[in-house]
Amino acid sequence: MAHTVKQEHLEQIQKIKRNKHHPLLHQIHKEHKISRKTLFYVKEYGLHSNATKTIIKESIKILVFASIISSFGGMAIENIKTLFISIVPLVILLPTLNDMIGDYGTIISSRFSTMLHEGKVGKNPWKDRDVQELFIQIMAVAIILALISSSAALVISYFSNYAVTMQVVMKIVMITVIDVIVLVLILFLISIIAGIYFFKKEEDPNNFLIPITTSIADFGNMVILLLLIRIFF
Amino acid sequence: MSIFNSKFKEIFSAQVVSIFGGLIAGTILVIYTDKILLIPGMLILLPGFLEMRGNISGTLAARITSGLFLKVIGQDKINTRIIRQNIWASFLLAIFISFVLGIVAFAFNYFAMGIFLPKIIWIPIIAGIIANAIEIPLTIFCTFYFFRKGHDPDNIMGPFVTSAGDVTSVLALLIALVLIWPIL
Repeated sequence: MAHTVKQEHLEQIQKIKRNKHHPLLHQIHKEHKISRKTLFYVKEYGLHSNATKTIIKESIKILVFASIISSFGGMAIENIKTLFISIVPLVILLPTLNDMIGDYGTIISSRFSTMLHEGKVGKNPWKDRDVQELFIQIMAVAIILALISSSAALVISYFSNYAVTMQVVMKIVMITVIDVIVLVLILFLISIIAGIYFFKKEEDPNNFLIPITTSIADFGNMVILLLLIRIFF
Repeated sequence: MSIFNSKFKEIFSAQVVSIFGGLIAGTILVIYTDKILLIPGMLILLPGFLEMRGNISGTLAARITSGLFLKVIGQDKINTRIIRQNIWASFLLAIFISFVLGIVAFAFNYFAMGIFLPKIIWIPIIAGIIANAIEIPLTIFCTFYFFRKGHDPDNIMGPFVTSAGDVTSVLALLIALVLIWPIL
């Protein structure tokens, strides 16, 4: 009998419009102990809903925004294309740097959002132990991987007949390390300021921070690379 | 304060996988610089095109994983309505975003550099179709595979999608260029 009631309720959920806080969800969660996540998933992608339409509708704006921001970053490099293409290790590093920095943005945002939800962030977040640990961990990973990836790019360049001199090695390593340090600092600063702002507005910081930080990571990476190439080459 | 704890190891190992794919993609870019990067506007669409694989396939993997954990999606049935709808949504999104990237690159070429090159719109669209024809089935197959093997795909699919996506995207761009550049 209990199963029949639940099935009926789930069917009812599938029919309701995707309102944010439908009272039926809360009622079923409380009475039948079905997790909120399951109810949300059933409501969004249930038998009677059109998952294709829901996914496209929810994702399209943020994807267009992220693509345009990434393209703006590309415009910066396009302006020094001839110089950029001639620096083989940086061409090899381009996809890696984009991936890495975008990933750091996602990790910082999601972990800081979780800290906010768990109430681990005090009045001065910079003095919080968890925030400090997150910052040092991300910075350490970023610097170690910047050294590893730039070394790998230099080795690949050497075997591609690119003249890898000591001066080139220093410049490439410096560019990669400075790029990741500056961007991790920027991403951290934005995540904390924006995270607290959205949390105070009673919004889930996850929904805003990840798209914001990944777009800034893409755009910022290109702009900082442009500046560093102009300084070092 | 312990810095080198399990969280550090998780982030580090995931990033190592991610940079591996990036370096392969970068090497392909260097080998085919004359075919890919010398075309006006290619550096404008390249970051967005590489990012798109992670954004679309990454969220596809995350949605399927949630469904698998919640038992809304059965682990033995891949060909279901919800999976088919997810595939369609991811594919349509990828083609639309590829078109947007092409338009941005075309507009930059035309307005900033005075180059009229409508072919640049077709390159990401064709490459998007090729890359997604590989990436989407691969993402679904791997998500189900890791889940069936008892792993949490959320922890594995992120770096996997990014690294596999980089390689397939660069190769797809190359194939698209070889296919359409002499024709259009």
